[in-house]
Amino acid sequence: MTSQYDATAAMEIVNADAPGAACVEDGVLYLEPSEVAGAVQTLRDSEESDLVFLSNLTAVDRELHFEVVYHLQSLDRNHLLQVKARVTDREDPALPSLTGVYHGAHLQEREVYDLFGIRFEGHPDLRRMFLWDGFPGYPLRKDFLQMPGQVRAGLPGFPHESEENAWPVPGSVPQRPQHPNDPQPEGDLVVSEEGEESS
Amino acid sequence: MTTADDTRLAMQGTIEALTTGDGSEPVVVNLGPQHPSTHGVFRLKVTLDGEIVQDAEMRIGYLHRSMEKLAEERTYTQNIPFTDRIDYLAAMSNNLAYCLAAEELLGVEVPPRANAIRVMFAELQRVASHAMANGTFINDCGAWHTPLFHMFRDRERVLDMFEMTCGARLTTNYMRIGGVAFDLPDELLPTLEQFLADMPENIANYEALLLENEILHARARGIGVISPEMAINSSLSGPVLRATGVPWDLRKANPYCGYEDYEFDVPVGEQGDCFDRFLVRMAEVKESLRILRQVVDNLPDGPWLADVPLHARPEPGESYARVESPRGELGFYLVSDGGPAPYRFHCRPPSLINLSALKEMSIGGTLADAIVTLGSIDIVVGEIDR
Repeated sequence: MTSQYDATAAMEIVNADAPGAACVEDGVLYLEPSEVAGAVQTLRDSEESDLVFLSNLTAVDRELHFEVVYHLQSLDRNHLLQVKARVTDREDPALPSLTGVYHGAHLQEREVYDLFGIRFEGHPDLRRMFLWDGFPGYPLRKDFLQMPGQVRAGLPGFPHESEENAWPVPGSVPQRPQHPNDPQPEGDLVVSEEGEESS
Repeated sequence: MTTADDTRLAMQGTIEALTTGDGSEPVVVNLGPQHPSTHGVFRLKVTLDGEIVQDAEMRIGYLHRSMEKLAEERTYTQNIPFTDRIDYLAAMSNNLAYCLAAEELLGVEVPPRANAIRVMFAELQRVASHAMANGTFINDCGAWHTPLFHMFRDRERVLDMFEMTCGARLTTNYMRIGGVAFDLPDELLPTLEQFLADMPENIANYEALLLENEILHARARGIGVISPEMAINSSLSGPVLRATGVPWDLRKANPYCGYEDYEFDVPVGEQGDCFDRFLVRMAEVKESLRILRQVVDNLPDGPWLADVPLHARPEPGESYARVESPRGELGFYLVSDGGPAPYRFHCRPPSLINLSALKEMSIGGTLADAIVTLGSIDIVVGEIDR
């Protein structure tokens, strides 16, 4: 059975090499963002932790900051360690890349860059992976609500539809009277880019 | 950046190389997005010096459906059908991994009968998926469709069993948080018995047909080799990792659904080449049949679904559950903020991460070898792009 590697033991291993690079909060190991690559390399090479396998790398948008989550696995000792790093700059989030430590981080970091916009410094080929260059925004961020610009939500109207039936504002989402969120049973509530208005 | 530009550049390269005639110009060839060897809308841009691959770059995203974003707006139960469509050739394994992650978050205890049924369907899915993987791999090696359709015959019988149990063949949506959706129908166990009785002979036939086959050896032996150290460092998993000789199987290393109660071996390869990946999959089918035999003999009675509210709201927290899917380590990372829908839903896709070392495996070989290597990794594009 895979055991959870003790976060305090991991913290001691990291801090012995780079003092202050790691701390434990609520049983989770947090790394100082600038020290991520070195600290993870220490954990990989240490005899005790032996975390040679990068099982998973992803990010979570915690609204005030991004949290990059690493799941590291030891195959011989069969334990798993969850490591996190906080990225507080939402305008230009950046974190050192793990590609020098784990070759398997290449694609996973590209995916996080594509969908969260977190730059991994030192990544040899950091490009968008699923979405095309120039795609507006980073969809897995919590403040990404709909396609900005001219792209209209929903399907285009049918040709036989009259002008009155067309959606009132490009980019708006009509909420019908029977919609559970609608506070007013009569009349359509229209949410537009400018704000809410009743018609 | 656009396909048209790349195609034009590639054509220019071809024309220049042909007209200069000295063959010194590297030629860019696009494999895909519509190419029979890429098993889906996957594009591999290879730079060739003559027949030798100098560089291989993959372009993906043609099947991106933003499932991770969509899942943040649906309840935990409503997300189960999404997992079918992540890896549509192993829907049961995906259902299972997601349900395990949700159960960890909710603290649900799964009844023993449900666990046995889950193991049964996960292993049937492995038989079906490996039949597909090995069949198409041999197809890529040049045995045009004959072995593939022999293996499809077995896969078809597995899909029939899925259909009689849950009504669907590919996108099964069978597992639930806390168990499985339906109990086994009366006709399933006799069908499964017949399947288990027939399979050893079928596998013996495939082995007689393929293992000594000179062409398969020539096409797959020593091709796409990767060392165990590089495979671990590249986060490879599943048959691709085990073919290098690393006996890493989550069913043994971190048993779930009561796998610790079943006797089975973890087949490993020696050389880490395409042929070993084929052999490992072939051997895993036999081990799956062994597990299925034990499940059928020890099927417990009782409920098949725990009492879980349909709109469960887990406590704030997170969970990471992994299963050994036919393609490798399949994980789901869920974060809850206490609401009815996951705050974050992430799938660790073995198909994508197993491609990490594709470039290293292909460089230095011929273009035809690159196609065999890609086939031996056994990708599902739905899982790469999600």
